[in-house]
Amino acid sequence: MTVSTQDSTPRRRFGGGFKLKLFAYALVAPVVLLILGLVAYPFFFAIWVSFTDMVIGSTGNFIGFKNFEYLAGTATFWAAIRNTIVIVLVSDVLKLVIGLGLALLVHQNLPGRGIFRSFLMLPWAMPAFVAFLTWRVLYQPIGGGINLILNQTGLYAGTVDWLGTRTTAMASVIIASVWRGFPFWFISILAALQSVPKELYEAAIVDGANTWQRFWNVTIPSILPVIIVTTLLSSIWTANGFEHVWLLTAGGPSDATMVFPVLAYFGMQTQRIGEAAAVSVYMLPVLAILVIFATSLMMRREE
Amino acid sequence: MASLAEIASAAPTNAGASARRRFLIARLLSYAALIVAVILVLFPVYWMLATSLKLPRDILRVPSLWPSRFSLANFEKLLADGQFLLSIRNSFIVASTVTVISVIISSFAAYSMVRFRYRFRGVIGRLILFAYLTPGSLLFIPLSIVMAQLKLGNSLQGLILVYLTFSLPLSTWLLQGYFRGVPRELEEQGMIDGLTRFGALLRITLPLSAPGLAAVAIFTFTGAWNELLFALVLTTSESVRTAPLALNYLITSDVLPWGPLMAGAAISSVPLMILYFVAQRFMVAGMTEGSVKG
Repeated sequence: MTVSTQDSTPRRRFGGGFKLKLFAYALVAPVVLLILGLVAYPFFFAIWVSFTDMVIGSTGNFIGFKNFEYLAGTATFWAAIRNTIVIVLVSDVLKLVIGLGLALLVHQNLPGRGIFRSFLMLPWAMPAFVAFLTWRVLYQPIGGGINLILNQTGLYAGTVDWLGTRTTAMASVIIASVWRGFPFWFISILAALQSVPKELYEAAIVDGANTWQRFWNVTIPSILPVIIVTTLLSSIWTANGFEHVWLLTAGGPSDATMVFPVLAYFGMQTQRIGEAAAVSVYMLPVLAILVIFATSLMMRREE
Repeated sequence: MASLAEIASAAPTNAGASARRRFLIARLLSYAALIVAVILVLFPVYWMLATSLKLPRDILRVPSLWPSRFSLANFEKLLADGQFLLSIRNSFIVASTVTVISVIISSFAAYSMVRFRYRFRGVIGRLILFAYLTPGSLLFIPLSIVMAQLKLGNSLQGLILVYLTFSLPLSTWLLQGYFRGVPRELEEQGMIDGLTRFGALLRITLPLSAPGLAAVAIFTFTGAWNELLFALVLTTSESVRTAPLALNYLITSDVLPWGPLMAGAAISSVPLMILYFVAQRFMVAGMTEGSVKG
């Protein structure tokens, strides 16, 4: 177990090996201990709880896969699977298209691009709960902004209960969460565009590549790593997002927008903790793949 | 570059006027698309403010894009019993405490991992990243049990402790990036001049990473200010409600009070909007370096 400063030459004047080692561990210890206690331990505890019949006020007994079997027999559970997949896939695609498109526009040498960039990032600066409460008001059938605009511009004369109708609720939730989530993609892709070496484009021009060829052969490959990491992170966050569904529809109407985190929260509210934990644990396999993939990409990018 | 302007300007026509026209059209289209996007971004923000300033009875009875009569009645109604102000105060206490704790101990950890090589460094790096990506939706159930056991349920202290689960990993991860950018030669120079290693961290590395520390502080504050799920599960009494929780309970009451709700939403946005406009530059840099949800 050796400690040295990071470059290859040993630097004795920084103190003896043991003292230095102790210092390094002492500095990192608080964060490591808190993460072990507040993330790692609860993580494994949640898995244990999902195999018990724990309710509020009891420690619960091991009951094997009973919670998982029970959940798999309910329609709400299957609705949550389907809805979570739909929300993640559709909003990822929309955020990618909108984020990439706007980043390409702002990346041009346009006068005033800084102002556009600031405005386009505004949803990201708003608290998520504020954004989704505002959208909830916008979607109101009477007095809501969306119906008002549709009526006044003559596009549609009726009154739609956007969040209260099975056919429109999901699309409404997705639109609101794309509104709040696209700036992260926009700014990540914009930063990636700005870091593509100019020489690559010059070389492509020398080789006679036209604009589309340069876009597909230079721009896209250069920003692809950023797009992949952004997609992974955004998928993890969206799949585990609670506010957007909770504040807009609370999973309704009749499970049309039910997702895993809201289902787990309802389980918690009805005090059946074992079942609630099983809901979260059901997500774990897919989530673990995304997280491991994202972690290794982020570690590699960092080195 | 595949910008519309360049598609136009690089077109291989030798007729200058035609190229010029295409350039202008491309410009125009770019601006048109951006302006549409900005309107779509701004409309909900406008709606929030407009609704909050309408007369309460006008919101449903006289739906209009522009408030027909301006009024502060919604704000008065929201603030009347002092409950919402209390929750704003609670949010400030929680968010600032989490920020201070998080920035201090994360900068120690990040410094240790950037400047020293030791056996478990790689493992710790991975642990921190895993912790960052472990979602609250998995942790809220066990954490509520743990907090109850620690007798910290339903308290601001409990919330502060729980919010460290997302702030510490993010802060440590981001600060590692910033500390890597501080040349070690400067620290060595400082130590030759008589500083201890800890002194070099405090007097040289931290001041030189000020923009990074600012970004990390803002992200941490924002994360804690916005958090809803943990607060919902961990707190039961009104006296320890945070701002998102207070607004959440406004909509679960029988009558939906849109006016006061939007007034509360507007008030809750103010601190973050100020931070955002003051420190946008740091935040963009931090966001793109560390992939921050915000």
